[in-house]
Amino acid sequence: MSSNNVYLIASSMVRVGRYFSKSYKDLVVDVVNELFSSVGSIDIDYLIISNVFSDSILEQLDISTILTQELGLTPKPALRVETGESSGLTAITQGYSLIKSGIADTVLVVGVEKCSEFPTPTMNKHFIKFSDYEVESIYGLSVVNEAALLMKIYMRRYGYSREDLSSWSVKMHSNALKNPYAQLRFLISKEQVVRSQVISDPIRLLDMYPVGDGASAVLLSSKEGIVNNEALEVVDIAQATSQPLNLREDLLSLPATKIVFNKLLSRSKLDLNDLVIEVHDSFSILGYLILEELGLVEKGKAPSIIDDLDNVNLSGGLKARGHPIGATGVYQVAEVFKIMTTGLGDIKRDSCWGLIHSMSAVDNNSVGILVRRCSC
Amino acid sequence: MRLSIPRFWRKRFDYYSVRISECLDCGRKFYPRRSICPYCRSRNVKVVTSRGVGEVLTYTVSYYRLEGYEEVIPKVIALIKLVEGPVLIGELVDVDISEVREGLKVEAVLRRLKSEDPAGLIYYGIKFRPIVG
Ligand SMILES: [Zn+2]
Repeated sequence: MSSNNVYLIASSMVRVGRYFSKSYKDLVVDVVNELFSSVGSIDIDYLIISNVFSDSILEQLDISTILTQELGLTPKPALRVETGESSGLTAITQGYSLIKSGIADTVLVVGVEKCSEFPTPTMNKHFIKFSDYEVESIYGLSVVNEAALLMKIYMRRYGYSREDLSSWSVKMHSNALKNPYAQLRFLISKEQVVRSQVISDPIRLLDMYPVGDGASAVLLSSKEGIVNNEALEVVDIAQATSQPLNLREDLLSLPATKIVFNKLLSRSKLDLNDLVIEVHDSFSILGYLILEELGLVEKGKAPSIIDDLDNVNLSGGLKARGHPIGATGVYQVAEVFKIMTTGLGDIKRDSCWGLIHSMSAVDNNSVGILVRRCSC
Repeated sequence: MRLSIPRFWRKRFDYYSVRISECLDCGRKFYPRRSICPYCRSRNVKVVTSRGVGEVLTYTVSYYRLEGYEEVIPKVIALIKLVEGPVLIGELVDVDISEVREGLKVEAVLRRLKSEDPAGLIYYGIKFRPIVG
């Protein structure tokens, strides 16, 4: 018996932002209503929720059941997935697995996060939990500090100035201008990056993701033709974990991400310049390191090619689309779906292949998925 | 941050000194202390108390505002290589930011991490300060 193929048949999102007048339930209801109104009435077999801070911020456990009730989807089975910042993409791999194994035919994956319910220092207290609490977070160490250490090592090893490493943020803001769902839709200059508030030197405010709420949804199915729009096939998924930064041989390597890319790219001769690529650029230094690990550019050269890149983070990435933690991976996939089918606003590509990458902290738990346009 | 008293107490030796592990099979030493070697998965691992002395590989001056950790801003966070070999990330204290540099020799010192509230438990742990002289 051959296992089922898995298709991505629809997606929906709200613009990432600060929704003071909407609850997490409101955001989820909005995206699910929009999704179903785009595909007509489809029966789902499973609801998967990606959410990280339900118990930290919302005082809620078993959030998938609460949302199933809210959506009127009972008695459908539901579950919540959490792997830190990569939760959204992990949720999609779990939906993929349910369909691949024949347990489900149609799976609704929803990512949701409310990050603006509390002031930023309170949110930061939760953001530091992505690292080992007993070893790092208790000391008040955060991922931004790790990224800052990496950025200094990178600048030293390859001889870059602080300003040289501003190209990523400038590009992401430029891309986000065309993405109707992006949180930061304005242009910035290298000078603005270099002059923005210091968060953890050399990382400045404009080197990192903004805090925002978000909800997004994708529909996975074993059948490609049950809706009118074009579908994408989820061809392969990969996931890997790695030891914390201080236990790595080379601090500038991303060992889990490397495993993920090797698996996804080994299956066929893919032209990296012809892929629609979304990567986890929570900090601009990580954007550079990911592209180098991907092999799109040799090590130490990423900052110099960013201006000319026209197939990476067309959404604006975490830097400018935003990073509603548990929802982010679902956004990435929802956006690539639109870019390769109906268009994300005016952003549209004819590429046959798409590659989406997500990770938690600095490559602690990394996930990738490879999609192909069905008509290719 | 709020850690239960038993949860903190049972790890007191890890918070009140720098403890590392040495793998008796592959010979690697690592931080944090663990009972399984992250390099070869051997369980033939012994705990070693580090001298707590090392040098700064690189550092960052952090203005990141974290609820419960706002008494001292900015903080100097450093990647520190212990003389025994393992690398860890720790906070530097008793140092003028302008004097921090790569290669700075540092030693472990017990400091307050934070107090969860005025009447609550005070947590202590290891930070690092320059070795004088
Ligand atoms: Zn070993």
